[in-house]
Amino acid sequence: MSKFFKNMKKYYKYAIRSAKAELKSEVADSYLNWLWWIIEPFCFMIIYSFVFGVVFKNNEPYFASFVMVGLAAWDFFNRMISGSVKLIINNRDLVTKVYIPKYVLLFSKSLTYLFKMMISLGLAFGLMIFQHVPLTWHLIFIIPILFVLYVITFGIGMILMHFGVTFNDLGNLTNIVLRMIFYLSGIFYNIKTRLPGFLGYILLRVNPAAFCMNELRKVTIYGTLPSFKWLALWLVVGLGLCALGVHMIHKNENSYAKVI
Amino acid sequence: MKKAMKKVEQKKDKNIAVTVKNLHITYRGLKKTSIRASWKHLGDKVELFHALKGVSFEVEEGKILGIIGKNGSGKSTMLRAIAGIFSPDKGKIDLHHHSISLLSIGVGFNRKLTGKENIYLSGMLLGFSEEEIAKKEKEIIAFADIGDFINKPVKTYSSGMYSKLAFAITAILETDIMLIDEVLSVGDAKFKEKSYNKMKELISDDKRTVIIVSHSLGTIKELCDEVLWLNDGEVVMIGKADEVIPKYEKFMSKA
Repeated sequence: MSKFFKNMKKYYKYAIRSAKAELKSEVADSYLNWLWWIIEPFCFMIIYSFVFGVVFKNNEPYFASFVMVGLAAWDFFNRMISGSVKLIINNRDLVTKVYIPKYVLLFSKSLTYLFKMMISLGLAFGLMIFQHVPLTWHLIFIIPILFVLYVITFGIGMILMHFGVTFNDLGNLTNIVLRMIFYLSGIFYNIKTRLPGFLGYILLRVNPAAFCMNELRKVTIYGTLPSFKWLALWLVVGLGLCALGVHMIHKNENSYAKVI
Repeated sequence: MKKAMKKVEQKKDKNIAVTVKNLHITYRGLKKTSIRASWKHLGDKVELFHALKGVSFEVEEGKILGIIGKNGSGKSTMLRAIAGIFSPDKGKIDLHHHSISLLSIGVGFNRKLTGKENIYLSGMLLGFSEEEIAKKEKEIIAFADIGDFINKPVKTYSSGMYSKLAFAITAILETDIMLIDEVLSVGDAKFKEKSYNKMKELISDDKRTVIIVSHSLGTIKELCDEVLWLNDGEVVMIGKADEVIPKYEKFMSKA
């Protein structure tokens, strides 16, 4: 673990620079440029709000804000998981030419995803003000919730990144699992009211995406306290996953260049 | 035995830059697989390929070592191991705290990013700070000589431009040890001459240690102090260029 922190200290500047450059390159040659970062999540919010609010008649209060907060958390989760599977193969040029601790690649990537999540959350705030959602001091709990979400996804990401090198089907498998989690996370419905009872209780706790989404909504839209007990529990699980991921990568990373 | 000890002591005085001891590298284990494939091959023995079988040598600071050998003899594998991209399966590589860079066709470029951005990213991966790179940025761009393309994504480069930029980065951002894998034939005739001269200039610095892999015996003969001949992952000979190369030529013409 001390090797991890030493490496991070050595390479974080690189990671930040690389993340910035990547974001820049993403918008470099499109007409609307960085506006896409705002237009894209906003349009998805409109689509989901229309389909599930109007067509399926969801009368969740502040539905647009509800969807936007959910989408912000989901997009981050989704990008981290699906992005990590092929991360090393996509960076073949780099990995075969120079030594870099492989989680630095994931860390750098995660910074770009974090940036996009911040935009989505910013949009969510705009919507909340627009819809007159009462804002409370509970908003500060966004920080610990996002931290837990980050730790969990970083841990899972490292493990997937490792297996993604050798295991060709992993991309397909994660796609299916992610689609399942997408529908089971309650991005556009409230698990608590739609699935009352035991099933809903379980879904909100074993699925980290649904859990973090729900906690985020608690502190933003409902103005209540998050569940500290479950946050702590997931933080421990997340840290465990990170430790496992770091260990796996330290053990195997020097062989990746032989395989890809 | 005593003689050998004496020799080692003498070498210590001369500052060793790279020590490779009993280096073994095996390709195995992490093999590409899929559900279907692993089902079929359940219980199969993992195939091993020994790329390097116990190679030992030392390079003194400021010396230039050439590595020769036929295709597949483990030359590139060894360079990559010295650069830290592979870890040895057995044995040890000691760089004695020198900074190192591997120059092969293209450093690690991110193809979506501009040449300029890639200068910084590659430089930082080689262990330089942003400030150090900023100081040398102009020199690198001038040496690479690829015009406006420096501000365009690397994916738009021709292979020549790609290599020119790669060479410029490693040549201008000077590391203590340079590993060069078959890149002295980069770019057009003009750049080739320029890079060859730059190479000679870098090499003539008596602090810099260089290891070159090349199939061009002419280059090796001209540049290198010592030559290491690898065959099937084992050292056949190590010594002065004019001792090793004739024997190597004889061996190659037989085979």
